[in-house]
Amino acid sequence: MDFAANLTLSALGQQILVGLSRTTILFIVASGLSLVLGVLRIPNLAHGSLYMIGAFVTYSVAMALGGGAFGFWLALIVAPVLVAAVSFAVERGIFRHLYDREHLMLLLFTFSLTLVFNDMVKLIWGADYRSLSPPEVLKGFVTIFGLPFPRYNLFLLMLGPVVALGLWWLTNRTKIGKIARAAAVDREMVGAVGINVSRVFSSVFVIGCFLAGLGGALVAPTQNITQGMDHAIIIETFLIIIVGGLGNIWGALLGALIFGLTDSVGILICPQFAIVFPYAAVVTVLLVRPKGLLKSTW
Amino acid sequence: MKKVVLIAGMLALICSSAWAKAIKVGIVDCYSGPASTYTNDVRDGFKLYVDQVNGAGGVLGTPIEFTTRDSKFKVDLGLREAKELIMREGVDILMGTINSALALALADLSAKEKIPFFSTFSKSAKITGEKGNRYVFGMNENTTMAGKAAAVGLAQKPYVKYWIAGDDYEYGHAIAEGVWDNLKKLKPEVELLGQSWWKVGEPDFTPYITAMLAAKPDAVIIATGGRDCVPFLKAAQATGFNQKVPFFMHTATELSTLMPLGQEAPENVIGTSNYFFYYPETAENKSFVESFQSAYGRPPKVGAMYGYVTAKFIVEGYKKAGKVDTEKLIDALEDMTVDSPVGPLTMRGGDHQVMFPMFMGITQKVPEYDFLKASDIVTIPGDQVMPSMDEIKAARGQ
Amino acid sequence: MTQSRFQALVIPAVLLLALAFLPQFGTRFYIYLVSLILIQGLLATSLNLLLGFGGMYQFHHAVFYGTGAYATALVLTKTGSPAWVAFAAAPLAGGILSLLIGVVCVRLSKLYFGMLQISLGSLVWTIVYRWYNFTGGDDGIHGIPVPDAISSGVGAYYFTLAVTVVSLFILYRIIRSPFGMTFQAVRDNPVRCEAIGVNVRVHQLIGMVIAGAFAGIAGSLFVTVEGSVFPELMFWTLSLEILIMCLLGGWFTFFGPMLGAAVIVSLQTFVGIYTEYWTMVLGIVLMMLILLLPQGVLGFFMERWIKISRSEEN
Repeated sequence: MDFAANLTLSALGQQILVGLSRTTILFIVASGLSLVLGVLRIPNLAHGSLYMIGAFVTYSVAMALGGGAFGFWLALIVAPVLVAAVSFAVERGIFRHLYDREHLMLLLFTFSLTLVFNDMVKLIWGADYRSLSPPEVLKGFVTIFGLPFPRYNLFLLMLGPVVALGLWWLTNRTKIGKIARAAAVDREMVGAVGINVSRVFSSVFVIGCFLAGLGGALVAPTQNITQGMDHAIIIETFLIIIVGGLGNIWGALLGALIFGLTDSVGILICPQFAIVFPYAAVVTVLLVRPKGLLKSTW
Repeated sequence: MKKVVLIAGMLALICSSAWAKAIKVGIVDCYSGPASTYTNDVRDGFKLYVDQVNGAGGVLGTPIEFTTRDSKFKVDLGLREAKELIMREGVDILMGTINSALALALADLSAKEKIPFFSTFSKSAKITGEKGNRYVFGMNENTTMAGKAAAVGLAQKPYVKYWIAGDDYEYGHAIAEGVWDNLKKLKPEVELLGQSWWKVGEPDFTPYITAMLAAKPDAVIIATGGRDCVPFLKAAQATGFNQKVPFFMHTATELSTLMPLGQEAPENVIGTSNYFFYYPETAENKSFVESFQSAYGRPPKVGAMYGYVTAKFIVEGYKKAGKVDTEKLIDALEDMTVDSPVGPLTMRGGDHQVMFPMFMGITQKVPEYDFLKASDIVTIPGDQVMPSMDEIKAARGQ
Repeated sequence: MTQSRFQALVIPAVLLLALAFLPQFGTRFYIYLVSLILIQGLLATSLNLLLGFGGMYQFHHAVFYGTGAYATALVLTKTGSPAWVAFAAAPLAGGILSLLIGVVCVRLSKLYFGMLQISLGSLVWTIVYRWYNFTGGDDGIHGIPVPDAISSGVGAYYFTLAVTVVSLFILYRIIRSPFGMTFQAVRDNPVRCEAIGVNVRVHQLIGMVIAGAFAGIAGSLFVTVEGSVFPELMFWTLSLEILIMCLLGGWFTFFGPMLGAAVIVSLQTFVGIYTEYWTMVLGIVLMMLILLLPQGVLGFFMERWIKISRSEEN
């Protein structure tokens, strides 16, 4: 292929920006997964389903409010909150009785949750493809490095650092965050000093699922909102947190960066083999650092 | 005397309808996940015609029954369900599926079990080509036909330097090859600058689009299908791709792609499809659209037409055979022509492929719908898009 | 003790007898369905060697199953070799791939082991999915010429039954062998095993090769029964399904995975006849089982049984 022809500097810069905007989504979803895995020790396979539900709810709310800008912004808040509410019900209703079970059993349980969630999506929203347009300000593109760059991706690009900062604040500056971090390292100790671990777990689970819903809400305007959205994202986010280090939010950020960038730059350099990049990246990292790049809580 | 005849006739009718075993059709298809937007239409279109026929006393006095199984896009599951339908339900006819690997497996199964299989959405050309056999019928266009049709259309355009991009699986590669090989034959000066392939369900097309723009082709052939059409068109609209480079995408103009996008779909995209509910503007099509709309409350998509036509071929086939008999049905179907919403359709005897015409159009905003429609439609007749019988024979190694 | 040992032998013997005579009274469909259950059961049992007896998170077991299936299919379609070569190729290919993936993976533990395996397995899947000229790509290979003697429903059934029974017997003996005992000790306490001079990684690697080889055999049986192969046979979702069979049936018991396979395959087949929403039904059933029977179905009954026989002895 004509690698050289494509590999101009401006195209590369453009591609990096596109990769970074993708990173935002991956980071949001993966950090939620990582949080739950790190603190509750639940490999939550239903995370992808919650992401999908987030996208569908965003669509429905925005459309119910006329499909305009107001509806979109409101949906961006309502959808993750709704997803968080669903997860809260599941956690209080079932999960908290299962915390002392084997990890594999928890994995199996979250898998059965995906089966139920996915059929519910089919029941509620049906088979047709849904498409949501971004609000007027975020439509179209701006020209960067002489190439078109979608405004919506620019929005995501700016949102990424905001979310990262918010998570940093949550884990380092709030009481619940500090307890959660402590619980991730030694859960007995946290219980022994008289903290209600169950409540901490519940909050962390809900926050993690909120992030899945937020990720789904944010991709809604760029994607085909359809059943099966959960499939690709779940395997990708699991690989990301493995690369970054299980349970480490900054690992999730690093992993998301690696995935977002290898994918977009890879497309430019070697477009015919885009399908293998993510897997190859994980294999390379784990061969060099078997426990992921950053310190794992596992 | 008259009364006696009437009573005897009525008795005979009651007896025959009570005693006649229904013709059983088993449909294995994927009714979950993104593919279901196509497969539900096939089922509903099929049901529409079957209900009409059953309402009028069935075919040869025998009602048609059908039952569906959801394969969830899993080949092993679909294969198991098909065997269950044949061995347990005792179906006379097998129908489905959008999954090519499963359709190919069923083509093989149908020959073993001597049960006719009507393939209703899989686009693999192998089904009536290389893997074709006496029991398999192709009830929709395939990648070879789509490729040929697109090449005929594109050869008339002034573009020389092309880029090819598409879904990294058999369908994408087959469409791309189909277009490209035929285009090179029709217009030898065309030049391929490069290719990019993405995984099915790719979340973001922007990086691919910017990479293609960087190569500065005259036109791009997008060999993507199904669920990826919508996000690709979204990305094309968001980046202004369609204003910078003209591109062709098979099925871009289909209702399942354009309807969800509403006014946000890009204009001037070249697409091909077997069917539009607004084209051709014939009485047949209008009445089909009307009855479908009143039955299901939505306009029919291309799959509905496939399902409807499949039912019609089965019914007319049995009528022509004069008997509910599988082998006679197959003989009757060969080279049979039926009227359809897209005009008369013929089942080619040599390979059991229905010769569908292809409609090439360009996406355009129109006042009458809240979504884009295909305009400037050029009809490429069925006999021009079909692979020749020599090619089929070569593929089958005959 | 002798009584419960006697019971432990009687039940499988009766079951085996029933299976041997199934074609005399079962319909074609049930013969076919039982063949599938046996195949999936063998696959799940081979996984459980690692999962239940080795404590290893083998998350992508399907890749060895698929490799075995493809090995048999490719030898049958691409070469003129006799059929036994094709069937011998399956465990060989499964075992070799296991060795390759295992060498890389056994350094890691638990979830990392599983996830690295998913990544490597997905790379194998990608190759099969894309290599159109050789593997048929995502379309797969269909109409594979299986030898006539075992290609009919009944023939395939007896072949599957015989191979499965022999394989299960060998697996059982392996678990009861000195190697198997050490293997289970490694599961229970790897640190202590290392301390008394057991090479933990070598044991785990050998376990993986054995499990991979038997998964390959299950793959070749699939080819016998279905006559088709396709990349889905090595997709990660199938791996998850087998994992569920083990957990559901009871992963600390030998026959649990077989029972799990029977439950899952039957649920998929029969609930699907009545409702399109059978995955939801499956999900709810799974949830109930996890909540009520944490040891799995067979595990639950075994526990009961042990309790009863103990109280009888007392």
